[in-house]
Amino acid sequence: MRVPLERKVLNENDRLAATLRERFQNHGVFCLNLISSPGSGKTSLLERTLEGFGPERRIAVLTGDIQTDNDARRLQHFGFPVRQITTGGACHLDARMVERALEGWPVEDLEILFLENVGNLVCPTSYDLGEDARAVLLSVTEGEDKPLKYPATFHHADLMVLNKIDLLPYVPFQAEVAKENARRVQPGIEILDVSCTTGEGLDRWRAWLDRHL
Amino acid sequence: MSIAAAVLEALRAETTNHSGARVARAGLRIGELSGVEPESLRFCLETLVSGSDLDPLAFDFELCPWTRRCRACGATFRVVEWNPACPTCGSPNTEAAGGDQMELTYLELEEP
Repeated sequence: MRVPLERKVLNENDRLAATLRERFQNHGVFCLNLISSPGSGKTSLLERTLEGFGPERRIAVLTGDIQTDNDARRLQHFGFPVRQITTGGACHLDARMVERALEGWPVEDLEILFLENVGNLVCPTSYDLGEDARAVLLSVTEGEDKPLKYPATFHHADLMVLNKIDLLPYVPFQAEVAKENARRVQPGIEILDVSCTTGEGLDRWRAWLDRHL
Repeated sequence: MSIAAAVLEALRAETTNHSGARVARAGLRIGELSGVEPESLRFCLETLVSGSDLDPLAFDFELCPWTRRCRACGATFRVVEWNPACPTCGSPNTEAAGGDQMELTYLELEEP
């Protein structure tokens, strides 16, 4: 007997993510899911972001890694709440991990919740975390064809942050080609050039965040 | 591997409505933009099923192309070579229309 179905494989995750999204939106929390390869600069971008916010800002970070709480340690110096999610092998965050990590946290009082995903350009793509927006980081020490190689990730992103632009004079990376590739995969994508080392472009990144509050 | 586990979890949830029946075959619809490599998923599914209470269980994959819809002429088209422009009228004004599917489409049950 054949039973026809229309069931999303990640339906349980999607259901939880919808609950989280409703919770964030009801309380005016802007939730951003940060995705990139390992080493593109997600934690550095968050360090520079938190550093630039005054203590009156209500910001929090959940940071995901397969092992270690090194990223949470790096981010704890800025006086904002930070929690590490150690996935113990999983190469992405899912909505259940986020829900558990938020237990007992005053999420309702936040302006921005950053979700730093596990460094990986494939698996995090499939998992909705209830975020309002998704940002993908690409750094100039990678290939400019990454948007074409990982179209699913760039296709689902609202913003591409091109990081490490201070290194452009020293690497063969063609920034315009990378941006064109990202726009082919996702014509509506916004793109920001930044350097977490020199601080260049971070004002535009902060303005982008503020525009979403 | 966690996607494969989610497939089996969804499959088990669906079979609770048919108590006693065992699943012989399941249909999966996977889009080109789903972030899932069908052959890797098949390998992970076979690994998880092998030796479990679900063994033997076969999977049929239906692969869905990456498509966009033209806002100017209304045509839906398959994206080839990452080109988002409409092949019918040439308009660059197009929107996402499909390719991120990851769905269980049918179960073939054997009554006890």
